Amino acid sequence: MTEQPILEVKHLQHIYMKGTPLEHHALAGVSLKINKGECIAVIGHTGSGKSTLIQHVNGLMRPQAGDVVVDGMDLADPKIDIRLLRRKVGLVFQNPEDQIFEKIIGDDIAYGPFKMGLPIKEVRDRVKWAMELVGLSFEEMKDRATYALSGGQKRKVALAGVLALRPDILVLDEPTAGLDPRSRNELLERLKTLNKKENMTIIFVSHNMEEVAYMADRIYVLADGRNLVDGTPEEVFVEAEKLREHYIGTPDTVEILAQLKAKGFAVRQNAYQLEEAANEIIALL
Amino acid sequence: MKSLPYFNKREMRKIAGFEFELTRNITIGQYVPTGSIIHRMDPRIKLAVFTLLVISMAICDTYVGNFLALMFACLLFYISRIPISYGLSGVKPAIPFILLLALLQLLFYSEVASGGEVLLDYGFIHITTDSIRLVIVSALRFIEIIFISSVLTLSTSTTQITHGMESLLRPLRTVKFPVHEFALIITIALRFVPTFALEMEKMMKAQASRGAEFGTGAWWRIVQRTKDVFPIIIPLFNVAMSRAEDLVLAMESRCYVPGRERSVSKKYKPSRTDYAALMFCIAFAIVLLTFPFPY
Ligand SMILES: Nc1ncnc2c1ncn2[C@@H]1O[C@H](COP(=O)(O)OP(=O)(O)O)[C@@H](O)[C@H]1O
Ligand SMILES: [Mg+2]
Repeated sequence: MTEQPILEVKHLQHIYMKGTPLEHHALAGVSLKINKGECIAVIGHTGSGKSTLIQHVNGLMRPQAGDVVVDGMDLADPKIDIRLLRRKVGLVFQNPEDQIFEKIIGDDIAYGPFKMGLPIKEVRDRVKWAMELVGLSFEEMKDRATYALSGGQKRKVALAGVLALRPDILVLDEPTAGLDPRSRNELLERLKTLNKKENMTIIFVSHNMEEVAYMADRIYVLADGRNLVDGTPEEVFVEAEKLREHYIGTPDTVEILAQLKAKGFAVRQNAYQLEEAANEIIALL
Repeated sequence: MKSLPYFNKREMRKIAGFEFELTRNITIGQYVPTGSIIHRMDPRIKLAVFTLLVISMAICDTYVGNFLALMFACLLFYISRIPISYGLSGVKPAIPFILLLALLQLLFYSEVASGGEVLLDYGFIHITTDSIRLVIVSALRFIEIIFISSVLTLSTSTTQITHGMESLLRPLRTVKFPVHEFALIITIALRFVPTFALEMEKMMKAQASRGAEFGTGAWWRIVQRTKDVFPIIIPLFNVAMSRAEDLVLAMESRCYVPGRERSVSKKYKPSRTDYAALMFCIAFAIVLLTFPFPY
């Protein structure tokens, strides 16, 4: 039995400023098929349409042409319950710390659950749950002021604000951009835990190939608003030439292994995880 | 093929994906480079001509004159190779306003425009041929002025507009008017209109993702609706402040010193077409202002 995908995008197109001289074809036929519990990376050069694509997933944009179906909800149908959809799909924008507007951390995270009309007890539970998930202590941090936080902490607060909706699918646009390496690694660990322990489906946009290699079950590569390659990281990184044509790199490990092979060493090309690659190299020594 | 049920306008907008596309409706500060003759005109001449045309359109009060002016405004779109739909999208938001104005003028302006035949005299309402003329001419004027302003802003980059303005206003420096600073403020303001529209669009989307809803509450629940915009306004304010700080840093690191004399990188020199356009427009303005049109 094949599983029903939780998100299916078929031949999606989007034109910005449609009907004006500035119209711009941002998506020209993109398809995705994502199953429940997967961790998916979307990569591509700047302007390839990644952000436009993911804004379709929670109905901020509706398909101009093509289909987007989220857990049985067809987004081309204007009658669907958009509030339900936005609860199912949590979307974290790029630089989400900009969207914090309450003075107190707890209040800001509680904004979404309150908007859902949940009773105060439930709101509190959710805020607590979300804060612990992103690694903020509920007792210590909930009454702290939002403006006095570091960049990494602010991003955690913003992420918790979306998690408090308890989405089934979490979509993140360049979640680690602009973070220091430590906050970045911590955030990635948190996301991995969410994916593995809470079985949350995660779709994230990234420019960092190391983090893609580390996180993703499957990768979709976009170029000029179309699918370029997709598949498991192994399948995608083999296409290094094709990726390079579209200004997309591969992880350093992949590059090193390829160069070793070119020099005549027998190394496995698909050992792209840092430890595996290290083992391959050690085996040569 | 799915059959399309009946959708109202709001739903259509959602389907088309325009729900949050604010930038679509903002033509201020947008420059549509088509490279036409109008685009290549000297910005000082363009501004002078624009001012002249606006004044003569505002004064001319005949049907024929305004009809000619409207045709002329449309012709400008044609010459600048900018689709007229751009001008129309500027008129669209003003329609309720134009209608309201027209209604008020029709009902209450009979004192001012008391000439002509009386068409209706009922209680306090007097409608005369002159008050009808006033209504129609005002509406036409409105559209003409929106049209030519659109052509001006769509065909002239903000830098050009401010350079033009700065050099036209130069004589005011003798009375200590800070011409340069004034021009700079206008440039920055215009430059950031689309930026903040994009920023606001992003903020609306981000908050909508967290369950915010905009403009859904009944209009009389003012407090509720005001509260609904806090999640957008407050972050937008923060963003604006940090952008302003960045801008100050960027300007100072490139040696901007307030009040210091600056040279310009581009000297404008009016060409023969510029003078021809100026002459033509002066003639056109004189016709609009003085020619005794029969209607
Ligand atoms: N609001 C908008 N209006 C007009 N064009 C846009 C808008 N947002 C994005 N674009 C254009 O659409 C293309 C795809 O953008 P985007 O989806 O943001 O790409 P990515 O996230 O992959 O960098 C880009 O060329 C961009 O300039
Ligand atoms: Mg992007």
